[in-house]
Amino acid sequence: MGAPFNDLRHFCKTPGAPQLVIIPLFALVIIMLLLSSTEKRPEKLKPIKSTHTQVPEPSDICMHPDKNTYIVVSDDGFLFEMDSVGKIIRKADYKGFDTEGVTVHEGKVYVIEEFTRKIRVFDLETFQLERTVSVPYGGGRNKAFESITFNRSRNCFIMLTEKDPIFLFELDKNLNLINEIDMENVASDISAATWHNGFLWLLSDEDMHVIKLDPTSYKVLNKWYVPIINPEGIAFDRNGRMVIVSDDMERLYFFKSPA
Amino acid sequence: MRFLFSLLALLIACQNVTAQLTLGNGHHVLEITGSLSTYYNHRVLKETSDNRNKDRFRLRDAQIQLEGRIKDVIEYELQVDFVDLSSLAGGAIDPENPGLMDAWVRYKGLRFVDVQVGYGKLFYSRSSLVPFTYSPYWQRAELLRGDVFGRRDIGVTLMKSFWKQRVNVYAGVYTGLAEVSLRGDNDASGQPEFVARIDFAYPARYRYREIDTRNTPVPMIALGFNGRYANKELPDGRSFPNFATGEYGVKVVNGERYVYGLDASFQFKGFSAQFEIHQMWGIPQRNNDALLHGYYTGRDDGFFVAGGYIVQANYFSKKLKTIISIRFEELDLNDLVPGNAQRLSGALAYQIKGFDSMIKFQYFNVLKEESINPYRWTEQFRLGWQFNFK
Repeated sequence: MGAPFNDLRHFCKTPGAPQLVIIPLFALVIIMLLLSSTEKRPEKLKPIKSTHTQVPEPSDICMHPDKNTYIVVSDDGFLFEMDSVGKIIRKADYKGFDTEGVTVHEGKVYVIEEFTRKIRVFDLETFQLERTVSVPYGGGRNKAFESITFNRSRNCFIMLTEKDPIFLFELDKNLNLINEIDMENVASDISAATWHNGFLWLLSDEDMHVIKLDPTSYKVLNKWYVPIINPEGIAFDRNGRMVIVSDDMERLYFFKSPA
Repeated sequence: MRFLFSLLALLIACQNVTAQLTLGNGHHVLEITGSLSTYYNHRVLKETSDNRNKDRFRLRDAQIQLEGRIKDVIEYELQVDFVDLSSLAGGAIDPENPGLMDAWVRYKGLRFVDVQVGYGKLFYSRSSLVPFTYSPYWQRAELLRGDVFGRRDIGVTLMKSFWKQRVNVYAGVYTGLAEVSLRGDNDASGQPEFVARIDFAYPARYRYREIDTRNTPVPMIALGFNGRYANKELPDGRSFPNFATGEYGVKVVNGERYVYGLDASFQFKGFSAQFEIHQMWGIPQRNNDALLHGYYTGRDDGFFVAGGYIVQANYFSKKLKTIISIRFEELDLNDLVPGNAQRLSGALAYQIKGFDSMIKFQYFNVLKEESINPYRWTEQFRLGWQFNFK
């Protein structure tokens, strides 16, 4: 090994050389930094607290409608009920594959398997698997259905694909596809969806954004930035706090409701 | 000409590829993806160079990749680059673009470890493991292109992740002939190469990517330690298969060869940086081996050392959809020969649609040469388009 910085010094003294490389690169970095610093970003939300979850690699979360507990799915294909401090209360006798979305509606738990394009329907009370529905989708293997929730405004389930492209699919109560909406410009990707307070709320992992949608027109009403690594699931608890679960960190983050 | 028509047909077909990229029956799912990339290369030749092949268009990649899973037990991958396949024809295999990129099967049914068999990237060196399509550059650093140590080989790898994938461990045994192993020839030493890697990340798992496109909100680091060993002592009168020793003749040594490497990676709020250092220690079997350059004087000094390091810094502006990067690399091919080589590169990439459609510009500058590895040029400029269909 030599002394690279001596050689760099020699290079910088070579007529013409530094002008070609270093000055333009330096100028570009400065310009980009200046432009980035003036970038208008959504309001940043700070978590008010966080807690570890026992669920390994949690990929989505929703509130139990009657209790102060959460229904959670993990990447490796399991369905859990978890208390508000992240402790597992029960686990379904089920081993799925690449479970990415979960929601509860009228006593049933709906779980999406992204990889197999299947919706598994469980009884909320018994946690027993009752039926499976296939929803064909030809997009990328790991870019299929990432989120599910029930849209009370339009009285239908909605499922969103993760990316490339982002589609919102509406399904009737019997899980038949009834509509498809292109949501490509909403975010870089979508990792979760939930219903709260008369609105649809989406979560983007790559953008780290929470997005509030009009549930009828699916227009974006507002966005917030959440500084969390790999946010994969969103829910609102009984106190109205927003709860976001991080897959990589295996933590629950609690925020004041943004609106 | 037939190839060009085929490529044109492929390009036209790609315009309509929007869906039906994944086939599945619930148990077995197959995903079809691919990439095309092409660039224009301008070289500033040395005044002494009489080789005027300096400016050209090049089709760098025309790849198809098949990735499959059978339940959650078996994964497989097959990736082919038609450009490189068409240029092989019995000559040297470019280790950075060997034609066949991947052909392996991974079994995940054992609880304690996953097993991968076949041909594919070796788990050695973080930068080597970053898929090329996620780089703003048109070429990897010289140290990591596959002529100092093999980047792909045929063999068996055991792998395991711990602590929420923050720690990854890999160990395997391979032919030791790297990309040349595809020709099916054995070497007369009959000895394999052993490769191992362990990497650690904090505070969360760290993917094999070099650009912080997610603007990570907390600082993240990853450290990796790599090692490989082969003892390939050839019987008298025998030699390694053609091209096995690589462009610099150090990729396989008639004797013992140790390679150690350390890599570190960092990312935070769009900024990212990588550092890698690799050191090779070769102990040729014979005192008159050309790699010793006539320096053998006694029992304890019949070895040579080679290696180098890279330092790379990057910034990603989400608003401008632009990556800017600068890389310094140093390579000493043999410590018995005075001097070493140094290069400075800069890259600028504009993302039309993420990494899937990206205009990339790379600038190379040779700061210093090693006498046993002279270049014809002093500077290079590459500008082109990378397109992935997924």
